[in-house]
Amino acid sequence: MFYLFDGSENGFLTAFLLAFQDKNARISSKSAQLLLGQEPVFVRTDDDRAQRAKARLLSFDNGCHKDLNALLRCGREDNEQVAFEYLRFLAQKKRPVRGMLAEPAVYRAVEYIKKVGLEIHHFHGFIRFIECESGALYAPFEPDNDICDLLVPHFRARLPAFPFVLHDVKRKKAAVYDGANAFLAPLEKAEIMISADESAWQGLWKKYYSAVNIPSRERLKQMRGYMPARYWKYMPERS
Amino acid sequence: MFDFLFVPLYNIDMITQEKLTILTESAKYDVSCSSSGSARKNAGGVGNGYIAGCCHSFTPDGRCVSLLKILLSNDCVYDCKYCPNRVSADVPRATATPDEICELTMDFYKRNYIEGLFLSSAVTKNPDFTMEQLLLVVKKLRTEYGFHGYIHLKGIPKADPALNRSAALYADRMSYNVELPTEKSLKLLAPQKSKESLLLPMKTLTRERAQFVEEKRKKQVSGHFLPAGQTTQMIVGATPEADGQILRLTQALYRKMQLKRVYYSSYVPVVQDSLLPDKCTGQLREHRLYQADWLLRFYGFSVEEIVTEGENLALEYDPKCAWALKNMHLFPVEINRASLEELLRVPGIGGRSAQKIIQARAYTTLTFESLVKMRVALKRAKHFITCNGKFFGAKNETAVRGLLISAENGENAVQENLFSLLPDTGAVSEKKILFSDRQNALSALTGEL
Ligand code: SF4
Repeated sequence: MFYLFDGSENGFLTAFLLAFQDKNARISSKSAQLLLGQEPVFVRTDDDRAQRAKARLLSFDNGCHKDLNALLRCGREDNEQVAFEYLRFLAQKKRPVRGMLAEPAVYRAVEYIKKVGLEIHHFHGFIRFIECESGALYAPFEPDNDICDLLVPHFRARLPAFPFVLHDVKRKKAAVYDGANAFLAPLEKAEIMISADESAWQGLWKKYYSAVNIPSRERLKQMRGYMPARYWKYMPERS
Repeated sequence: MFDFLFVPLYNIDMITQEKLTILTESAKYDVSCSSSGSARKNAGGVGNGYIAGCCHSFTPDGRCVSLLKILLSNDCVYDCKYCPNRVSADVPRATATPDEICELTMDFYKRNYIEGLFLSSAVTKNPDFTMEQLLLVVKKLRTEYGFHGYIHLKGIPKADPALNRSAALYADRMSYNVELPTEKSLKLLAPQKSKESLLLPMKTLTRERAQFVEEKRKKQVSGHFLPAGQTTQMIVGATPEADGQILRLTQALYRKMQLKRVYYSSYVPVVQDSLLPDKCTGQLREHRLYQADWLLRFYGFSVEEIVTEGENLALEYDPKCAWALKNMHLFPVEINRASLEELLRVPGIGGRSAQKIIQARAYTTLTFESLVKMRVALKRAKHFITCNGKFFGAKNETAVRGLLISAENGENAVQENLFSLLPDTGAVSEKKILFSDRQNALSALTGEL
């Protein structure tokens, strides 16, 4: 059976309960995954049942909520299915399973969780702020995973006096820090007034970037490996 | 030649593109770009430390850009043969003002281009004067500009130790580059430097740092003293020293000076001189040195196990393979029983794979298929392990040698090194971390080879 839920965590947990006994269950919030002619189960999110399922899962492994959170943020097509199989395995074993890497369900989940964590680390470095006239900082980017709010603590800790916006252009949302509080907001397109110095600093940065390179040692494959080309669009030195 | 202005007039301290280029071009052969090891907190103002270090970009040569690497001045009174800035060279000269460096750091940092500043300088006038200038910049940056991000300062040999000590209170890391592995080579190529002039300030700072840590523990002092320690760099291939000799010095620097990192810079001829080779040192040699260095720092090897003093590292396979081939009597090891130390000595098995194996075997007996499922790289490893008693490698040593060479070409060994130490995103418990020095392991993963 194909279980289509609304993308929320409680929606997932409701679907999890419904699909638990179903050996051939496919769980997703993306209707695009539906095969032609397939009749899905439309999952009606039930917050109470979802919370009870969560409490039960937490009783087996109190770290599993973090895992689920990361898996639902993962940008892979089958991330929800992977989360389902991992948590079902956990529920069957009734104890933490994350070390059982020889188990495909666990291995896949751990890989996806790792991908999300790694991308957060990458964007701590690859985010590029543009200075606005007001002094606020604006950074558009397109991460693979749904992580823009998870980047806030890092930048807030180092730039406490600067309001900033981390704009996930692909998902049309933004994590905003206004100088005191942080929140998530839908954001299609941002209109910004860039500061007078901005283009001069960007120019210096590009100059620096090309000066620090050693042309006789070109290793483009390495560069792309460390800094995938899909991230370049918003990095002045590469765009 | 730098006096035409094309930057906006209202920001008088914005450095010009020309000056930036000159001062960066001269600094770029310093390999170290690490921003790890400091947990400095934001105390109002801008910035903080990132204990694992952070790469902000990568250049087409595959190197990480983490710090703004720049000289305060390239106007040198010394005459090191290999250096484009030596006094006898005819190159454009530039000197930045402290405010230019500070503004540049602040504005780059704010835009998240960089993790901090790596400041060094040619010797202008004399060592004390130069060190005073450098001290001025870091002090200004910390106190006037309120910068709490990473600062790596390259010390000037033969400067007054009191200046070094003051600088250490503001910088996160300091380094003196050993440059060449022997006194003889130094005499030849860097006549104004001596081993003593390079090692002495390192020794002194190591001692003072230990003292500071002790006093801080007793709450007699506060603040910081080189929280990220010291590093150094050697040029490889400009002089005839063998890898064995270089790595012996490395080991001594780790053990006796407690250095955090030793960097190797394969020689690039930017200068023509009859005393210097006119060819670049192979990148592979540099790579092998880093691999050997890695074995010293994280895998519990000693240099004596890896290479004799007069020898170079084998180029055909990585130093761990080379060691294993010389010690076939220790293999194969059984993956279900081998200790962590034994696993780490298996060619092709890195820290990350060893960790996976130890974790997974707690639940089940591992077979060859389990390892495949867990994506443990087996091309090289299979010749040195048994899986639940079964051996899947080649029958004799000659065959193993041949296969190892082709495996090396197939698997990207650099990647194995870097990615074997990726941070765990909650999937692995902290307690199981393999390395004595987690910080270093973490910093290594951020691509700072
Ligand atoms: S001291 Fe030597 S290596 Fe340093 S800038 Fe001067 S000439 Fe170059």
